[in-house]
Amino acid sequence: MALDIAVLVSVGRHPASARNRRAVLDARALELALNVPGANIHLIHAGDADEPALREYLGMGVERLSVLGVPAHADVLPVLVAHLKALRPALVLCGAAAEQGAGSGELPYRLAAALGMPIVPAVAGFELHGGRAQLAQALPRGRRRGVEAALPVLLSVDRAAPEPRQSAYARAQRGQIERIAVPAAPLWQPPGEEQPARKRPKRLKLISGSGAERMRAAQGAAASAGKGQLLVQPEPAAAAQAIYDYLLSEGILRG
Amino acid sequence: MSTTPRLRNMRRPRLEGSGRVRRDPRAERLYCGEPAGETLSARGLPRRDPRAWYAAGPQANGRVRIDRSQRPGSASVAASAPLRAAEPALKTVVIAEPAFWVLAVPDLDDGRLSAHDRDVFGGARLLAADGGAVVAVCFGPAEGLDLAGADRVLQFDAAVFAGYAPEARAAAVAAVIATLDPRHVLLPDTPIGGGDLGRRLAAQLGETAAVRVQKLSAGEAIARGNGGRSDYHMAPPRLLLLAPEAADPLGGVRHEALALPVPELDTPTRLLDRGLLAIDPNSVPLAEADFICSAGNGVHDWSAFHAVAAALGATEGGSRMVCDAGLLPRHRQVGASGTLVDPRCYLAFGIAGAPQHLQGITRCERVIAVNTDLHAEMVKRADLAIVQDAQRVMPALTRLIEEKRHGA
Amino acid sequence: MNALIPGLLVLASLLALAALAVARAARWRAGRAAAVDAVAGLLAMPGRYLHDVHDAVLRDPVGRAKAGDTGRAAARMHMLTAGGFIAATALILAVHLFALGGVVLAWLLLAFLALMSAGLLRLYARRKPEVSPRLSRGGFDRLPYAFTAFIVFFAIATLPAAGLIAPFSWASLGGLALLALGAWACIELYVGMGYGPLKHALNGVLHLAFHPRPARFGATTPDSALQPLPATAERLGVEQPRDFAWNRLLAFDACVQCGRCEAACPAFAAGLPLNPKKLIQDLVAASGTHGSDLGYSGSPYPQRPVGSAHGAIDKPIIGSGAMIHPDTLWACTTCRACVYECPMMIEHVDAVVDLRRFQTLELGATPNKAPAVLEELKATDTVCGRPTSARLDWAADLRLPLLAEVEHTEALLWIGEGGFDMRNQRTLRALVKLLREAGIEPAVLGAEELDCGDVARRLGDEKTFEALARRNIATLNGYAGRFARIVTADPHVLQVLGREYPALGGYYSVVHHSTLLAELIEAGRLKPAADDSGRRVTFHDPCYLGRYNGEVSAPRRVLKGIGIKVVEMNRSGMRSSCCGWGGGSTFTDVPGKRRIPDVRMDHVRETGAELVAVACPNCAVMLEGVVQPRADVADLAELLLAAVEAGK
Repeated sequence: MALDIAVLVSVGRHPASARNRRAVLDARALELALNVPGANIHLIHAGDADEPALREYLGMGVERLSVLGVPAHADVLPVLVAHLKALRPALVLCGAAAEQGAGSGELPYRLAAALGMPIVPAVAGFELHGGRAQLAQALPRGRRRGVEAALPVLLSVDRAAPEPRQSAYARAQRGQIERIAVPAAPLWQPPGEEQPARKRPKRLKLISGSGAERMRAAQGAAASAGKGQLLVQPEPAAAAQAIYDYLLSEGILRG
Repeated sequence: MSTTPRLRNMRRPRLEGSGRVRRDPRAERLYCGEPAGETLSARGLPRRDPRAWYAAGPQANGRVRIDRSQRPGSASVAASAPLRAAEPALKTVVIAEPAFWVLAVPDLDDGRLSAHDRDVFGGARLLAADGGAVVAVCFGPAEGLDLAGADRVLQFDAAVFAGYAPEARAAAVAAVIATLDPRHVLLPDTPIGGGDLGRRLAAQLGETAAVRVQKLSAGEAIARGNGGRSDYHMAPPRLLLLAPEAADPLGGVRHEALALPVPELDTPTRLLDRGLLAIDPNSVPLAEADFICSAGNGVHDWSAFHAVAAALGATEGGSRMVCDAGLLPRHRQVGASGTLVDPRCYLAFGIAGAPQHLQGITRCERVIAVNTDLHAEMVKRADLAIVQDAQRVMPALTRLIEEKRHGA
Repeated sequence: MNALIPGLLVLASLLALAALAVARAARWRAGRAAAVDAVAGLLAMPGRYLHDVHDAVLRDPVGRAKAGDTGRAAARMHMLTAGGFIAATALILAVHLFALGGVVLAWLLLAFLALMSAGLLRLYARRKPEVSPRLSRGGFDRLPYAFTAFIVFFAIATLPAAGLIAPFSWASLGGLALLALGAWACIELYVGMGYGPLKHALNGVLHLAFHPRPARFGATTPDSALQPLPATAERLGVEQPRDFAWNRLLAFDACVQCGRCEAACPAFAAGLPLNPKKLIQDLVAASGTHGSDLGYSGSPYPQRPVGSAHGAIDKPIIGSGAMIHPDTLWACTTCRACVYECPMMIEHVDAVVDLRRFQTLELGATPNKAPAVLEELKATDTVCGRPTSARLDWAADLRLPLLAEVEHTEALLWIGEGGFDMRNQRTLRALVKLLREAGIEPAVLGAEELDCGDVARRLGDEKTFEALARRNIATLNGYAGRFARIVTADPHVLQVLGREYPALGGYYSVVHHSTLLAELIEAGRLKPAADDSGRRVTFHDPCYLGRYNGEVSAPRRVLKGIGIKVVEMNRSGMRSSCCGWGGGSTFTDVPGKRRIPDVRMDHVRETGAELVAVACPNCAVMLEGVVQPRADVADLAELLLAAVEAGK
């Protein structure tokens, strides 16, 4: 029996041009699904079926995309829950957060809670054996943690997952978009007053202590901006020591 | 005259309490002997040799500081030691009868409070300002919660919470929430730490959290969303997931950090932590790497390069020319035409620093360069630059690391 | 009967050839339909042969490996051997089959056989004692012997008719031996025209008549614009040999395996797995029912064995186990050196791009960083993925007026991708200053300027190219009448805007900055001081300026205007060698033994030049990427600006 995998995809948005495209993380989720041999992939989107960017997912080699027809800015949770409850997939894959709309990254968790599935975030890869999923979870600094879960399970994918394959134009055009009528969904409310994101200055290194210390730190920081320490023709041992000390002091190496 | 008032003061470190003499605790900490390169002049005045000071060794932040210890590396160790050692008489704030509770759930990655965790406590203190008390909910032991700003501590030590146990932890925090009914719950918004736990809580409680909070004050939280393009200004909701530096950490006071009794819980375990997977640093994609050891045209001794990268536990990278020559595979290429990297540290051997290469490392926080050319662009870019043949430095560094590892 | 035997031998061979030709034609006809004006083509064919083909043959092959391997020798060899052979064939039929003409024609036949012998000597000289590595072996090595046998047999057979000896009977031991020799020669030479090395003679004639690009003959500038996708194809691009138009299959079959393309190919020289000759031969082999490269006897694709490739007319051409490995396809820089050198007028680059179109549009199998580049092009309209509004960030202090803000400009400056690159911003800055010095206030499109589509098109993404082109054309047509011409420092922009947009309805006067700067110097509007540094300077012709647009004089006129005498490289002008950037090959990044720009910098080193002048932002980046020590690299505009400022 083929394994049913539901892949939830959204419409992404390019950070430089603000143009719609396939979402980076959702495409990675689909890539993971496409690498499961013999899987029966259900590609699902809740939103506008006429959005051209959706075809980019079809271009990755999926024949059909099911679109749950809800208007823009609708809360997609109820329709997704209803659809997935009927579908009963063994795996649900999605990106960690959407690139537009709230994009708070809460949806996968709400979905998992509503479906009664466990959820594992930051999945970089997985294998399936005997009804269980062996997952590789991406930790910071390139580390990976093994996590095991029984199916069905919901996996959310971040940038550590393998890069998505190229979307081919012809496959994108030939793929089918299946429109599924769903009951009216409530509108999503922004969690507060929306303003364009403001770039926040990075905090300078915190110096607590006397005024003189803070002054000296501030002067030092200004003087050292773009200018570091220089050792000219040191003995190799001294050079090695200098590098070692620097790595230690910056916490790159643990002594 | 080359002595400064500060130096004079340091030479009389025990002059406490004098209204006129200002103390410099950090300098005192550093001081344990004759300053390097300092001699007495004919008139008996201390003289210092700036060159000797300059060569005394690298210091924190890549800046030159004067090492008065004459022990290699000691200054840097001291500089990175916890601040509280220097502040023996901190005032302890006691909140005996809190009007309400604010929970802070630190990640405690590796059992330590991270800077991000401290920011979360700082945020919690802001929200607890009018008579509330901050409860740290910890999984496993933690130090420094008093300085971070915890009035109470709930420490869950059961084995079920160890490792990756987000479901058990979420159940525990939910139980605490049910018991204490806190006004706010704050977590660091880290991908598989607080960010994971907080979203689980939000789903479980049916609440909407403020996520990626950029700035937090008593009356307002600024959350970020819409793919990073929008800020949402709101009154702080109950669940808050804070981005780094959303609030300032506490300084100059300590809180009680009284242990509270931990409830017994029946916790679900649908996820099994199988532990860290053995990862060869060289299988880590460059874009994800935390510490990159990179080789350029100036590297000829490739076994020494591979050895030093392995000893450092660093991911290997290379310049375009090295990859063109097939000395490293193409996916190891750093630069505009290769991979744009953002490791915490970039150690470059024999890389001159072509513009395309420098474009690839613009986001690196710390750069160390070893190059024979004093005028190389990479040397100018570096926080620590060593003008020396990479062939001589690489084996010396490998040896040093091996010695430290076996000696320690 | 005895006297008829030589004539019958030729007649039988010709009939066999006719049968083979019909079978061969069936192979070509498996291809897609093509609009061909057959009558005009057949009428024009002799002229194309005598003019275009002759010109191409007459050029000395690149990198001659042996003395005497000149274009003139090749042309003479062909004229004497082929001319004598055709005449001899007609006379053999007349003399031996129809017994016409008596002694006169017999002597004439002997004279033509003597003429063939003169050509044959050159053929021997070409293949003995050693053969140029670019030439194929196998059947080609037998040709000198076959011609010798032909001449000996028919000379002896004609001696009686010429009245020199008495008629003799073939039914002797010597006669039968001679007859066997003659029969073998006729099979090799006549029947062989249907399958063997000599098939280039017959197929070449047909190919010249039904050429897919008739406009290239007699044109003043190269016919180099890529052709759009056929509107009604079931597949986008070419997957199987039958997806090529029939006259393109015929074109491949006309290949004579002279290897001039191989000798000129920059990818082959750098050890990338591409050899244009084998590419064409593989396409020929794959056009049958069971094709393999076992019969191929020329140089292999570098780093790849010969003999393991298999294909058929209805099988995919590209694949790691198919006829052509993907690395071979993506190693091409689309520099057109092969097209320029090919004496059979084969269009290699068209084939490469058609094959790439299928890989990209149908399969999504563009390698390495190329898919990311295409995705950025789709999402941001720039190769580097930055917003178009950032293209002019470097020029904030120049206050370039937007075309939207001015009524009319003499020069609409097309910035191109070079605007995002720090190195090429220097060139652009110099160009703007020069234009202003000459009293021209250029205008720019600003954020309205999208990528021209060159990279997308050469990577096979015709749809993205079309989308970009249509939007650019809409923008430019909206400003119709408000700019006299478009000026660009990027020859790829020159090619695409000037030559490839017309097919989509964009007709503009586009000029490369070298052309404009040469005009301005010659009109006295720029007054550069003569360069007195005594530097040795060479010039690297960009492929897209020279071979694509035929402009090789303007850059040299600019350098002459500065007083620089160009020390030419062995390969310069129309025969320049690629820097390795074109065709998206920096993004597909197929590994070779060396890098293409390193090979080109060796050519620069041979001249002893301290400075290599360039006229393309991509050449500048590629050549500057070569490890020191090497010649300095400077764009024409930078050199000219320095000279103009020195002249003040």
